[in-house]
Parts: sequence; C-alpha cells; structure tokens
Amino acid sequence: MTAVGSSLSAHHVNVERSGRRIIEAFDLCAAAGHVTAFAGPNGAGKSTALKALAGLLPYSGSIRIGARELRRLPLRERARTLAYVPQQSLLQGGITTRDVVSQGRYSHQASWSVWRGSLHGAVERAMLATQVMGLAARRWDELSGGEQRRVLLARALATEAPVVLLDEPTASLDVAHALRFLELLRQLAGAGQTIVVVLHDLQQVRRYADRAVLLDRGHIVASGTSAEVIAPERIRQVYGVELEENAALGYRLLASDSSERPL
Amino acid sequence: MMRMRSSIRHWIEAVLGTVQQSERTRLLAKFSALGLVLLASAWLSLHAGRGDLGDAALSARFVALRLHRSGVAFLGGAALAVAGVVVQGLFRNPLASPSVLGTSSGALFGGELVLVSSYAVLAGAAPFGLSAEMLMPIGCVLGALLSLALVLGLAPLRASAVALLLTGFLLSSLFLSLSELLKSLVQEKWQLLRVMTTLSLGNLSGAGPKQLALAGVLVCGSAGPAWLWSRELDLLSSGEEEAASLGVDLPRLRFWSVVWTAFLTAGAVAVGANAVFVGLIVPHGLRYLFGYAHRTLIPAAFLGGGTFLLCCDALCRALPLRNELPLSVVTGLIGAPVFLRMLARLERGTAQ
Repeated sequence: MTAVGSSLSAHHVNVERSGRRIIEAFDLCAAAGHVTAFAGPNGAGKSTALKALAGLLPYSGSIRIGARELRRLPLRERARTLAYVPQQSLLQGGITTRDVVSQGRYSHQASWSVWRGSLHGAVERAMLATQVMGLAARRWDELSGGEQRRVLLARALATEAPVVLLDEPTASLDVAHALRFLELLRQLAGAGQTIVVVLHDLQQVRRYADRAVLLDRGHIVASGTSAEVIAPERIRQVYGVELEENAALGYRLLASDSSERPL
Repeated sequence: MMRMRSSIRHWIEAVLGTVQQSERTRLLAKFSALGLVLLASAWLSLHAGRGDLGDAALSARFVALRLHRSGVAFLGGAALAVAGVVVQGLFRNPLASPSVLGTSSGALFGGELVLVSSYAVLAGAAPFGLSAEMLMPIGCVLGALLSLALVLGLAPLRASAVALLLTGFLLSSLFLSLSELLKSLVQEKWQLLRVMTTLSLGNLSGAGPKQLALAGVLVCGSAGPAWLWSRELDLLSSGEEEAASLGVDLPRLRFWSVVWTAFLTAGAVAVGANAVFVGLIVPHGLRYLFGYAHRTLIPAAFLGGGTFLLCCDALCRALPLRNELPLSVVTGLIGAPVFLRMLARLERGTAQ
C-alpha cells in the first residue's frame, strides 16, 4: 500500500452528542506500523472516539494525521488519508463485491470522471490482501458475516489510506475467523500502516495489539503497551472482574492454517 | 480541450465501460431490448385512438398530433421514473416517490393558481404575448421553483435526510391544501374545475409542440445532470456515515438531488403527465433487470419510464370510452397491485 508512515494523534479531544459529553479529554498517539486497540465496557465511548478520529463527528481539541489537523482536511483528502470500517455496514444488497471494493476509489476520482475504480490496481491489491478475489462477482447480501467483514476491509484498503480505523471487526466472527482477521491487521501494520481498532475481547487486545487504550465512561483509564493496560488491577477497576492469568481458555491459529484455507 | 475530450469519453464509458466484458454484453443486450420495446410502443401509440390513419386527407394531421403527444408522454414518464430513482437513492428507501419533496404539489398549485387568476382577471386572455395554452405550464414551473426554494431554504440540509423528508412532506401537504382551497373557491365554474382535475390526475390530450419543447428542455436538462451523481448515490446505499467516510459531500448531494427532482417533476406536471406510481414501479422493476448501480439504473429508468407512460397513454386513447381516462387512473390501476406485491416482498425480506 502507498503513503505509509502517517501517525494519528489526538490531544485533549472532547465529543458531545445532543448536549451530552461522550468523550472527555481523549489523548492518543497511534504510530505507523502499530496496531492500537481501544478496549472498555459497553458504553465506554470506544466507537464514538473512533468515529471522531475518522472525522465523522464534530469534536473540540485537536486530532492530527502526521502534522495536519483533521478538521482542516477537505472531504476527499480526508477519505484518502483515513479509512473507516464500521461495526455494521448499512450496505443494501444487490451490488457485487467488486463494486463494493471499488467504492473505496471514490475519493481518488475527479468530480465528474466516471467510475473506473474497478479497473484500478488498488482494488485488485486490496482484494488480494483480504482474499476476497473469489467473491468478486458475488452479491453483497449473499456473503457470510466473515466475508462481509473482509470485503469492508478491502474497501478501506482500496482507498490506500495510511490510517485504517476499524470498529469491532471481530464481533460476530467465530474464533478462527476472528484470529485470521487479526492476523491480517498485523500484516497491514507490518507493512507500515497505522491500525486503530476497537476490540471487545481482551485476549485479542493482549495478543494482537501493540498498544492499548482502556476507556471507561468517556475517560481514558489507562494507555500504554497492551501488556501494561490489560493488567489485573485495571480490569478489576473497569469491568469489575478478576483477570486470571493463564487460567482462561486460549486459542491460536494452527501453524498449517496461514493462507491455504479460505478465510 | 484534451481534458474535455477525455471526460466525454469517460462519460460514454461510464454506462458500459467499467464492467466486465460479459457483463457489458449483457447490459448492452438489455438496453437494446428496452430500446426495441420503446420502438414497438411508439408504433402502437401512433396507431392507438380514434381516427383512421388510412384517411389520406387527415392522416398527416393525426400522425403529427400523436407524435407530439407520444413524445410528451415519453418525456413525462422518463422524468417521473428518473426522479423516483433519485429520491429513492437519496432517502435509501425503495418506497419513496418523486412527490415526497413537495415539488409536484407545488407545481400543481402554481398551475392552478395561474389558471384561476388568468380566468378571474383577464377572462382567459394571456398577457405578455404568451399563448394561452402555455400559461398553466409556466405556472406549474414557477410553482415547482417556489416549493424548491422553500424546501432548500427550510430543510437543514447539513443535518440529515430525515429533516429533508419531513420538510418535503409538510410542504406537500401545504400545497395540496392550497390547491383544494382554490378548487373550493371556484367550485361553481365547472370548466375551471375540470381543467384542474385534468392537470392533477394527468391527461395528455392537450399536448402539442410547445409542451414537447418545454418537457424536452426541463426533463433532458435535469435527467442528464442527475445521472452525473450516480457514484454518490451508489455510495449512499452504504448509509450516510459510510458515504461520508468515503468522501461523499452529503449536503451537496442532497442539495442537487432536490434541485434535479424539482425540475423533473415540474417538467412532468407542467405538460399534464402527473401520473401516480410511475416513479415507484418503474425503478422497482428495472432494479431486477439492470441491478442497483445508478450509472445504469438512471438511463434505464429514463427509457423504461418513458416507455411505460407511452403505453399507458396509448391505452387511455384506445379504450372505447366517451371521455378519455386520466393517466393516473390507468397507472394507478396497474401500479397499486404491483406496489402491494412489492410491500409483501419487503415484509417477507425483513421477517427473514
């Protein structure tokens, strides 16, 4: 992917929705090449924080991509810089996977130029990286939940944005699909992209994220390396549960399982 | 110059160029089929109605009359179907009709107001050297522009599509009430009432070259630009938030969609082609054939909507009744059952 090496930082960001402050004094520094995870209980403001970072909500404070302030970016340029993968897409059926992925090219096209996106190399690369090439001609509404996730990621990658934001991409995925999806995110980070992801599963945070931000009721409780953040005392404080090191069931992908099997 | 030439080439490729080869052939076949149906309908439409084309003295007159009328029917149907596709895309709802923005009831009210006031003040004579038959169409266009200005001025386009929908709905009721008020004021003048009913239910018996020119300018001048918003409408099918994250300027898309819908509905209403259901059933049927991508759906709706109304108008003329049926009666009788089926299908879809 192109344009790697942009970090995403937030300084003292507040987000209000209908008069209520959802996020308060949010700070973040997500570096290129890292997977940064947001964790926290339901209603902690993880998705809201992610949407604000994507430029989809009004905010006060400062959000920067590299050295540039987010709210000063023109719409299309913002879409070329930040890709956002929603928790649940409202995509209506009837359009093909290739057309969905091609939507990612919109921000690169001139106003009245036509939709030549599906011919663009970035679409092919994004579909290869997420292994959805075989689904190219399938209709969106015929895809399984796991396939839809990967198609949405492919659309985000087709924008060639250096920063990719994902809202709970592993929710509703079974254990194997979830782990494969997270492996894919690690590969993207390895290639120099900035990945920010909301995750519910603390094990996944610990295993796949470089850095983590633990949120509770709109505030940052802890932020640092994922091992520092997902620690027993923090988890007790935020979730009210006891973290039992090495006691819970753990999973990992089989060594033979990397790429031969379809995701 | 180079840039212009390449962008024209891009436009041509837009309809057929970006899809796979087999898909392209299939689309071409479908558009050709639609074209053939249109030709057949036009031929039927020329031969429908009273009056024998074999009569050497009159056949040229008949052909000219029916050609104008068929042309107006085609443009009116095309306008309604394209406007339907645009509002359905804008509100992400296949059950939205072109009248939801209040522009068609605004056009109706404008036409009726001009009709009544010219009758009351000028006793039917037309001012400014305008021909009398064009007074009402011009009133319709002005009425549509007024409701367009109101909807753009009052609806918070920045906020959401729902606010726009509500504003349109309220304006629509307002103009309908004003129309009814006007009708109740002139209820003793049955000729006036008759013309007003004809206008609101659609009837093309007055269509001539002037109406054809007016519809041509309004409909082609707005269906083309509406088509240029295909990509944005496609992206909007993913929801407003996702479309915004992919770079779509939503307020701008809403603004121009409302503008083109207003001109399209104005064109249809002004020439007497205000028929119900065309903007609903034609896009619905074409989505099965042509898919959901607006770059093909909008041209298909233009051809399909035009063909549909052409046939309905031919049916109006062919039925051996003392008075011609209004267009809305015919389109409604066809449309309501299809619409009920569509609702049942949607219900089943959500129940699953």
